[in-house]
Amino acid sequence: MVEMVFLTPFFTGLLAFVLPGIIRRQLLVVTGAVHLILSLMLWKNSPRAWLAEYFAVTPEGLLSLLVISILFFLIAIYTRGYLAAHSLKSENIFTGFMLLFLSTMTMVTLSDHIMVLWIAIEATTLASAPLIYTHRSGASLEATWKYVLICSVGIAMGLLGSLFLTLAMELGQVTTAMSFSALTPVARHLDLVWLKAGFIFIVVGYGTKMGLAPMHTWLPDAHSEAPSPASALLSGALLNCAYLGIFKTHKIMVAAGLGDFSGTILIVFGLLSILAAATFILKQTEYKRMLAYSSIENMGIIAFGTGIGGIGAYGAVICMIHHSLIKSSLFLSSGNILMGYKNRLIRNTGGMATRMPKTFVAFFAGVAGISGFPPFGIFIGELFIIMGAFKSGHYLAAGIFIMSLCVIFAGFINYAIKICFDPAADTSPEPAGFIETPCFVWPQYMLLLTSLVLCFYVPDALYQTIVDAVHAIGGGLQ
Amino acid sequence: MILQTVDTLSSLVLLSILFAFGSSRIPVLINVIAFQGLVVSVVPFFIGHQMTTGSMIFTIVTLVIRGILIPLSIHIAIKKVAIQRDVSPIIGYHASLFCGLGLIVAATIISRQLNISSISESHLVFPTAISLLVTGMFLLMARRNAIAMIAGYIMLENGIYLMGTTFSVRVRHVVEFGILLDVLAGVMIMAIILQNIKQTFDDVDTTHLRTLKE
Repeated sequence: MVEMVFLTPFFTGLLAFVLPGIIRRQLLVVTGAVHLILSLMLWKNSPRAWLAEYFAVTPEGLLSLLVISILFFLIAIYTRGYLAAHSLKSENIFTGFMLLFLSTMTMVTLSDHIMVLWIAIEATTLASAPLIYTHRSGASLEATWKYVLICSVGIAMGLLGSLFLTLAMELGQVTTAMSFSALTPVARHLDLVWLKAGFIFIVVGYGTKMGLAPMHTWLPDAHSEAPSPASALLSGALLNCAYLGIFKTHKIMVAAGLGDFSGTILIVFGLLSILAAATFILKQTEYKRMLAYSSIENMGIIAFGTGIGGIGAYGAVICMIHHSLIKSSLFLSSGNILMGYKNRLIRNTGGMATRMPKTFVAFFAGVAGISGFPPFGIFIGELFIIMGAFKSGHYLAAGIFIMSLCVIFAGFINYAIKICFDPAADTSPEPAGFIETPCFVWPQYMLLLTSLVLCFYVPDALYQTIVDAVHAIGGGLQ
Repeated sequence: MILQTVDTLSSLVLLSILFAFGSSRIPVLINVIAFQGLVVSVVPFFIGHQMTTGSMIFTIVTLVIRGILIPLSIHIAIKKVAIQRDVSPIIGYHASLFCGLGLIVAATIISRQLNISSISESHLVFPTAISLLVTGMFLLMARRNAIAMIAGYIMLENGIYLMGTTFSVRVRHVVEFGILLDVLAGVMIMAIILQNIKQTFDDVDTTHLRTLKE
């Protein structure tokens, strides 16, 4: 049953390579819907996996899975229109790898075995590389090359870290299964030196994939060169998957009594990422790169919150959920901007409020949400993290955190206003045949609406799952 | 006796590392990674763990993939792209060679400090694994040729595998096979990108791949 959730998109993905065009696009949406239903069924009765040694349903996995599933379903609807509007040369490859990508990401959320998690995360890299190279240009080739090489080498460090965990088991004479759920209760018996070494390598390894500075260099290139639906998936879903690997290892560290050590590392990497984003976002010339740097910022915020612990960890999970929803809507809107203006540069856009009013609503609401404005959820998440930082006495870190957020907000909103209202560029030719049909705006509206609703009303099941997830790393609403 | 075999194999790998540091030609580098792949995958036969039928089969599969398939896929990609045969070093060959020697000494000293003698009795396996790892990193950083960088990645993976063979007894073969498959698929994707780089830029020097930046 559990395995069905990632096997379904795997097989439909293989099918998509050979099916004809129209059926293939429908298949994308249908698979998204089936996947969503299957993930919701996991929520309902959280069954045991067939291969219980390798896969398990965990609270943090359920959260990421649901986010991925909602995201993919809505992005699939957008993609169907996108593919109809663009005649991609290799549409079957694009669709097929979208589904395989979904399958590998689902596998990450359900993996429990340390090595299986590694296999799944590396597989996400391999399944998403062809998506980045869809446009077959020199720049997209460069982005793909950097993505595959940097992430593969990074994740190889993650493998080394996982090996160190096995060494910690062996030296501590722990003989349980090599899964996160089995290791957490016996974490105190592990060899602490190698556990620490393992954690550092895993943070560097999976942190590369997550986009933590200074290993983030592939991220702006890949996100800006990929087609917009793929960027939305990369930013909204993939980064969370890598975070999950760090989160689960952090759980073992906390259980082993090394929570301070791993927390400090996460705080440092988190602050570095936020600072890097604040430095680079101020002088962006392309809007998709700007959004990519905002992803780095948010990953930094999430790592920072996780490191703080307590109410901060709760805030980090809130930020993770809402960042995925809002950022993927922004990337989809940026796809509309690209179709409307046929240009990636911010200075060649302008006056979107009058030229593309529906996209403007989605884009501007998204910008407000991602910069931490109420009533969107990131506001609450960041507030919790700042409260947690002050409560735990990280005054300096909290100061840097707030300062950087202000800088990023200023840079981000400046460019957003330029894109939306600047009259100077209004003389450019009319939107080149781009009509805002419902399938190009409703997915964004739905994503933003989900974020909005979750801000005021959190279902009990969801609330309980978040609390369960952060409880293991010493987090909670107290 | 058995341990001596392991140490002999390790010293062969160490020699090939020095070879990789000093060589300027791509085909030599490919042969080096093929040789290292072969040697690294036969180590489990001699390391002294109990060999079951399953682990025998798995070791042979590893041998085929690491020793033959991975180097072959790079080789085919190279043939198709009629390669420029110099690795375009950022750090020169003599300096590289010197780095290599220093690296092996450092790796030996570090592995003495690590408290892992209860896991593996062999003196050379762990230093060799560390050296392979760092050599891979070095090639990734100090060469501009895309093929040399891929060779560096493969060496890195070989090093991690060698380290794993010394102590990951408890990992199931299905899982190890999954890892191997990922590495193979990764190298194949890199080979495909390599062909595209050659077609687009008519070269495999990665200085062409520096247009995207702030």
